[in-house]
Amino acid sequence: MQLQIQDLCKQYGTKCAVNHVNANLAPGVYGLLGANGAGKTTLMRMICGVLKPTSGSIRLNGKTIEELGEQYYSHLGYMPQDFGFYPDFTAREFMLYMAAVKGLDAKTAKERTEQLLHMVNLQEVSNKKVKSFSGGMKQRLGIAQAELNQPSILILDEPTAGLDPKERVRFRNLISDFAKEKIVILSTHIVSDVSYIADYILMMKNGQFLLGEPMETVTNGIKGKVWEFLTDNREAAEYSRHFSVVNLHHENNKVRLRIVSDTAPTADAVTVEPSLEDLFLYHFGEDAQSERSNDYVD
Amino acid sequence: MLIKYEFLKILRKKSTIIVMVISLLLTAFLFGLPILQFQTYNQDGVIKGFDGIAYEKEQYKDLSVPITDEYVTRTIAEYQKLFENPDNVGYDGNEKFLIGDAYWDYVAPRENLLSSIASVYDAPGENSGLNKLPELDLTNGANFYQARNEKIESLLNTPSRNLSDEQKEYWSNMAGKVDTPLQYGYHEGWEVIITSFELLMFAMLAVCIVIAPVFSGEYQAGTDAVILSGKYGKTKLVTAKIISSLLFGVLAFTLHIIVAFGLPLAAFGTDGWNLPLQIAGMTIPYPYTFLQATLINLGVIYLVLIAMIGLTLLLSAKMKSPYLVLIVLVPVLFIPLFLSPNGTTGAYNLTLFLLPYRSTMPEIGKYISYQIGGIVFDVLSIRAILYAVLTAIMLPLARLGIKKH
Repeated sequence: MQLQIQDLCKQYGTKCAVNHVNANLAPGVYGLLGANGAGKTTLMRMICGVLKPTSGSIRLNGKTIEELGEQYYSHLGYMPQDFGFYPDFTAREFMLYMAAVKGLDAKTAKERTEQLLHMVNLQEVSNKKVKSFSGGMKQRLGIAQAELNQPSILILDEPTAGLDPKERVRFRNLISDFAKEKIVILSTHIVSDVSYIADYILMMKNGQFLLGEPMETVTNGIKGKVWEFLTDNREAAEYSRHFSVVNLHHENNKVRLRIVSDTAPTADAVTVEPSLEDLFLYHFGEDAQSERSNDYVD
Repeated sequence: MLIKYEFLKILRKKSTIIVMVISLLLTAFLFGLPILQFQTYNQDGVIKGFDGIAYEKEQYKDLSVPITDEYVTRTIAEYQKLFENPDNVGYDGNEKFLIGDAYWDYVAPRENLLSSIASVYDAPGENSGLNKLPELDLTNGANFYQARNEKIESLLNTPSRNLSDEQKEYWSNMAGKVDTPLQYGYHEGWEVIITSFELLMFAMLAVCIVIAPVFSGEYQAGTDAVILSGKYGKTKLVTAKIISSLLFGVLAFTLHIIVAFGLPLAAFGTDGWNLPLQIAGMTIPYPYTFLQATLINLGVIYLVLIAMIGLTLLLSAKMKSPYLVLIVLVPVLFIPLFLSPNGTTGAYNLTLFLLPYRSTMPEIGKYISYQIGGIVFDVLSIRAILYAVLTAIMLPLARLGIKKH
C-alpha cells in the first residue's frame, strides 16, 4: 500500500498553507512535526478528503481520492485536532453512530465498539454521556472512533495536546498498538511524543516539507551542532539572546546550557548527541521557543 | 441506522425540547384564545366561554337547512313583515333596525345567516348589514342564487382586480361548480381554523430553529471533519440528515397541528366539516367543504414547511453557525408579516401572496390568480407548485453545499 502526495497545494487568498508538497508514504508511523501554522492540519485535512486541494493530488495505490470515492474513505481513520463530540450521546452511541457513518454493518459495529471501548479503557463508562467525560477520556474515545473501521491509513492530528503526562504515555501506547501494518500520520508539536513511536519524521515549515527521514538518522544532519557547557547566570541570559537554547539546568551556582548552533558558542562547549528536540529547535528557532513557553515539552 | 441516529441527535438536544415546548404552548394559547374569548348574547346578556358555545350550538339547531330560493324568500319576507310594524323598528338617525322582541326572537338567533343572505344583495365592496332586506322586491321571489352569480360576475369585472378574460372564465367555472342550494349549519370550529392558519408560522419557525444546526452545528462543534472523512460522510449521511430533518419537521409540525386544530374542534365541536365554505362567505368561488378546504390549505402549508426545511438545510450547509442560519431565516419568515397587500393584482401583491407567511393564509374569497401564458392557476395551486419546486431545488443544493464544504 502506498499513499502518494503529489505536488499538493492549498491556497487561502494570497496565503499558501500547503505549498507543493510531495511524499510517498508506505506503512509505518510518520511523525509530522512543525510549529503552529506550518500547514500540518491543512495537509491532514486534505489527505482525509475534508478539504479540497487547490492543486495537486492524493493517490492511494495510484488512484486519486475522487476515483476511489467511498472506497478511499473506508481505508481512512481520522482523529482531528480538538474535534467536538455529541454531548448528549453516550460513548457507545457515539461509537455506533460513527460505525454507521463508516459503513460498518450492525453486527460488526457492535463488536468493534465493545472491543475498542475495552482497549481504550472506557468500557465501564460506555453508557455515560460524553459531556461528562474528561479531556483524556474524550481523546481516547476519539482514537477509538478512528479505529472502528480498522483503517489502513490512520491520521491523528495533535492527539496528545492538552493531556497530562500519564494520559500521554497511555495514549502513545494505544497508538503503537493500533499502528501495525498501517500508514499512521501523527501530527504534533510535542516532540517527545513522536520520538517514542515514530518510524519516520516529516518536518513541515511554511507549508513545505523541510525534511523527511527515518527516525534513526533524522538527527544526523545536526551532529556536531548541539553543544553543552557550564556558565554563570548573567552570561546564560546573554547566550539565550544570541543562540537557540534547548535546555537550561541550574547546577550549584552555575547554569548548564544546551545550545543548538552551527558554530561553538564558546570554547568550553562540547558537542553532544543530538535529539529530535534539538532538531526541532534547530529548524524552528524562535517559533519553537515561543511555543515551548505555551506547551508541555519534556 | 444513520437516519435513526440523526433523528436521535435532533431529539436529544435540550434546545429541541425547550423550543418545542415553548412553541406548543404558544400554539395552544393562540388557538385557544378564540375559545377563551368566545361570547354570544341573548336578552339576559353576554354568555361567555363554553356556556356561550353551547348556547350558540342550540341556536343553530333550527338553522341547519338548505338555503333554497324559497327558504331565502320566506326568511326575507318574515323579516320585512316584522319591519312593517313601527313598534318593532328603531332608528339611530342613520339606519333603521329591528328592536325589542322582534330582534331577540327573530334576528338574534339567525343574525349570521341573515347577514350572509343580505351580503349577496350588496354591491362589490359594499357592506350594508341587514339594511337592504326590508326594501328587497320579492314579487318574483328573492332570486338568491341569481343575485349571487351576478355579484360574483361584478366582482370579477371590478376594474381594480384587472383580471384577464381567461382568469374571469377560470373563476366563473370554479364558482359554477359550487353545489346549490347551499346547506347552512353550525361551523364555528372550522371557521376558527380557516381564519387562523397564519398562526402556524410560529410552529414553522420552531421547526426551523431546531433543524438549523443539522449541518452548521457540525461545523460549529468541530465534528464535521470526523464525519466527512467517514465512508458515508458525504453521501448516505447527508441523505440521512435530510430525511431525519424532514421527518422531524413533519412530525413536530403535525403535533402542532393536532394541538392547533384539536383545541377549537374539541371546544366548538367538529360540526360543519361537510358544510360548504360559502356559508362563511357567499362569493367564495372554491367548491369545497370546510374539511376539504382545511385539508387542501394544510397540504399547501406542509409544502411551505418542507420548502422552509429545505431552505434551512441549505443555509445550514453553507453557514458556519446555526445563529447565522436563523439571522437569514427569521426575516424570510416574518418580514412579510409587516407587509400588507394593497389589492390583489400587481407584482407586489402577487409576490406577497406567495411569501411563506401569506402562503399559510388560504385567501379563499379574494380571487387571487396567476396566469402563465394561457394557463390560469389559483393562489392555492401556484403556492403548491412553487414550494414543491423550491424544495426540489433547495434539497439538492443543500447536499451539494455539504459535499463542497
